[in-house]
Amino acid sequence: MPFELTLPFSAIVGQEQMKKALLLNAIDPAIGGVLIRGDRGTAKSSAVRALGRLLPDYEAVDQCPYRCDPAIPSRYCDECRRRANSGRLPVVRLPMRIVELPINASEDRLVGSIDIEAAVRAGTRRFQPGVLAEANRNLLYVDEVNLLDDHLVDVLLDAAAMGINVVEREGMSVTHPAHFILVGTMNPEEGELRPQLLDRFGLCVEVTTPTDIDQRLRVMELEREFLDNPQAVHRTAAPRELELYDRLQAATTRLDLVQLPDAIRSLIARLCLDGSVAGHRADLVVARTARAICALRGAALVELADVLEALELALAHRRRDAATDKPEQAQELASRAAEQLAQIQATTPTETAEAARGEATQQEGASGGESNEGWTTAEARESPSTEAVDVEPDTVIQLRTFAVKKLDLPRERQARRAAGKRTSTKSETKRGRYVRSSQTEKVTDVAFDATVRAAAPHQLRRRQATPDAPNQLQLESQDLRQKVRERKTGNLIVFVVDASASMDAEQRMQATKGAILSLLRHAYVRRDKVALVAFSGRNARVALRPTSSVDLAERRLERLNIGGTTPLTHGLMTALKLIKTERLRDPRVYPLLVLISDGRGNISLFGEEPLLEAQRTASQIKQEGIRAMVIDSTRDFSSQPGYPRNRVTSLYGAYAFNVCGDLAERLGGRYYGLFDLSQSAIVDSVQREMLRTGSA
Amino acid sequence: MERFVYPFSAIVGQDKMKLALILNAIHPAIGGVLIRGEKGTGKSTAVRALARLLPELAVVADCPYRCDPDAPEALCSDCQDRVAGGEALPRGRRRMRVVELPINASEDRVVGAIDIEAAIKSGERRFEPGVLAEANRNILYVDEVNLLDDHLVDVLLDAAAMGVNVVEREGISIWHPARFILVGTMNPEEGDLRPQLLDRFGLTVDVEGIKDIGQRVQIVERREEWESDPASFSQRFADQDAEIGTRIAEAIVRFPHVVMPAGILRALAELNVSLQVDGHRADLVGRKASQALAAYRGVPEVGVPEVNEVADMVLAHRVKAGGRRELGSVTQSLPSASRASRSS
Repeated sequence: MPFELTLPFSAIVGQEQMKKALLLNAIDPAIGGVLIRGDRGTAKSSAVRALGRLLPDYEAVDQCPYRCDPAIPSRYCDECRRRANSGRLPVVRLPMRIVELPINASEDRLVGSIDIEAAVRAGTRRFQPGVLAEANRNLLYVDEVNLLDDHLVDVLLDAAAMGINVVEREGMSVTHPAHFILVGTMNPEEGELRPQLLDRFGLCVEVTTPTDIDQRLRVMELEREFLDNPQAVHRTAAPRELELYDRLQAATTRLDLVQLPDAIRSLIARLCLDGSVAGHRADLVVARTARAICALRGAALVELADVLEALELALAHRRRDAATDKPEQAQELASRAAEQLAQIQATTPTETAEAARGEATQQEGASGGESNEGWTTAEARESPSTEAVDVEPDTVIQLRTFAVKKLDLPRERQARRAAGKRTSTKSETKRGRYVRSSQTEKVTDVAFDATVRAAAPHQLRRRQATPDAPNQLQLESQDLRQKVRERKTGNLIVFVVDASASMDAEQRMQATKGAILSLLRHAYVRRDKVALVAFSGRNARVALRPTSSVDLAERRLERLNIGGTTPLTHGLMTALKLIKTERLRDPRVYPLLVLISDGRGNISLFGEEPLLEAQRTASQIKQEGIRAMVIDSTRDFSSQPGYPRNRVTSLYGAYAFNVCGDLAERLGGRYYGLFDLSQSAIVDSVQREMLRTGSA
Repeated sequence: MERFVYPFSAIVGQDKMKLALILNAIHPAIGGVLIRGEKGTGKSTAVRALARLLPELAVVADCPYRCDPDAPEALCSDCQDRVAGGEALPRGRRRMRVVELPINASEDRVVGAIDIEAAIKSGERRFEPGVLAEANRNILYVDEVNLLDDHLVDVLLDAAAMGVNVVEREGISIWHPARFILVGTMNPEEGDLRPQLLDRFGLTVDVEGIKDIGQRVQIVERREEWESDPASFSQRFADQDAEIGTRIAEAIVRFPHVVMPAGILRALAELNVSLQVDGHRADLVGRKASQALAAYRGVPEVGVPEVNEVADMVLAHRVKAGGRRELGSVTQSLPSASRASRSS
């Protein structure tokens, strides 16, 4: 990577926490890396790449492709182990560097693969090390880490967890060490990270755009200077860079001497329990980080302030409950920690441990309850319609904020689990990204690189068999490899909303709008699409074409007027047409039709009895294999699966029957009542529906 | 043999779009333009026409990425090696081109892939550059950018962010510079763009079909003339085109010398803070765009009119839904804000 193109580290304005987290990792790689989350355009990537110039040197075995550490024989690669047996290993000093994993990487480059050149030319089977090999003892940087393919994430996690990379492919079997500092940057707007991967990062910092005008002016000035003359900026910053480099080196050598007093050690254990974090990784990370902070400031004894700072960096992404008001929380934590420290110092160690444990269970219980709030239907049922009533009837802005806040945190976890399985389908059309190759009977989409690699080891032999074409690659049919492509196909959720006069009552529309908007927020993160069909008066119209734009949807929802009669059939037919069109465009789309209505259709489309028409259309939708659910806007009874639905036998008695329940049955979908479901519950049921049918 | 391109100055109306393109031509670091609007509003015509007006660039003559011999820090690894080896890089001059990224492009064509021919013939592992390599120091034009496949958007984002394309695939491990003026067009009716990609575009302009009858007639007339006899049509506008070209060339020279008063910068930052725009990009683009406009107009110092004129283009796609309504009023308050800070 051309680091000359990046700013000097010390020139980056503000973002102190992010810079510190990066420096701490350079001092002690065992901290386990850092994840930087934040707004676009906040110098995340610049800072990481700039760190490359400051990284310390380390000792490595000379001529070893993995730069094994001569001091740790247990982590030697096979070759070094062999060489060590036959004598002393030669040692060189190498600078630690940044290895980038671009999100367009293919699997063979990540783990390494057979060396084509060696294989074709000399017929030898040689391993060409991949990014993981390069990353050993270095810093592995993934920009936009949340966009990395699931499959690559799996490989990465595997290697990170074991510290080794095991390659079994193309007739090769190689194992090599892969210890690296994992650094990732991401913009949470683009999707969340899988929890497992999240936990791999030792530290996590959130960066936001500074609102301080002077700081922003400095950023503008710096950018101008850098664009005009990057060398000059580097020259000006050189003394400070050098100073920082020296400080880092000094801190690295001092690290081993830094002492962690027992009292501080038990304080850390306590505070981690207090923070109700899962696993023991947090304790270790906090302790290591605190030591590195202490080393960086040039002291030899870890103090309370170091621990507090470390805590902030290490716990942000591990806490089970949402981070609330930050400065206040920090204040409170500081005073609590001081208190506890005093306590610990006053008591004997065994008592301390017990006290901490007791407190922890209490804490955990409390936070567990909290995180459940808002998304179990059971709870929503207990307090029906409170959220719907809370809404101010005429402000859309408010509508949006309440809906989103209510849903944001607990929802995501479930949504992602669903998304991981469902949204990326192996695409059989030749579209999507080529992630890896496989051997199939009939190859339609040739993976050339993999084919050549497969053929490579046999070249020498084949050439000997046919001496007239000595320089050509000789392929046989068993060499052919198929490209495995992955393409994200989202769900399509089509809301068919009754906008007739009857929906005006009791803010039904408000509840519906809130639910749609909330769904959309999550849909964007998961690349789902939402469409909206509204029916009222004499026809139905597509109020919102399939989109994943929150902005657009908000504007359209705002404009949705209520009034007139109920052309239910029109609504269903329009939705059906919309889904069919979308299917033509992308046959792999998963549609879900959500009907929100009172079911009292009173306008005919084909000149028949309105209700009968609606029923027939419902059956047609079921035949098309479209999943559906019905939300009854009038009923407020519970929606247990076993709820007895009345079959309509007489047309004239329709009003006495549960029309929506009947429609739901004909659609082959579930039936819910609007008012036993709070908005968050509507979202939940939609997502449950997705899961249910998605896995089937 | 050069194909005829519809002359830039013959495009009727759409002044905002033309201005946005010119500003980018003056200072490519502005970061490109997103043109939002209906079909048939002269979007692609304008982009192609502009490329012909641009001054030639100094390049390393035989470098596939057209490295700038005067910017040693931005050289590709090959050129760097050559310089390190004591070789004097051969200089050449090249006109900027419009490189198109079709929305059905495959990923290997975009980022580049292994050279299959070399691999099969001699077993050599060689890199075959893709669209991103071609786009280096050119204009990368994505028509219907909102319909681009998600994974291509990811790749594009990654490259645009750092100006470098890192390739780790199909046995190839390489990086090369990929700095381009990103020009995208989209029809908002067909779906929106992901915010992250949206933010990558320095400016946005919304174009509409022209309502003025006289102008509409003029458009049709000119188009017909052009189609029947492109040579003489081009000839007719050659002078005007040349004039714009000269103005751009002059503005490029003048750009670094345009004074940016501290008060204006402060007002710009305050405006963006008050609108709660994420990130620094609005500040940075605002500064560059207004400075480029001042250079184009030939004024020695950036003033309130320049900032006002670019504010819309800089902010239209960065202000969040709630704030967009307020944009008008804040833009109006800008003059007073900058006056206040200048006097302080």
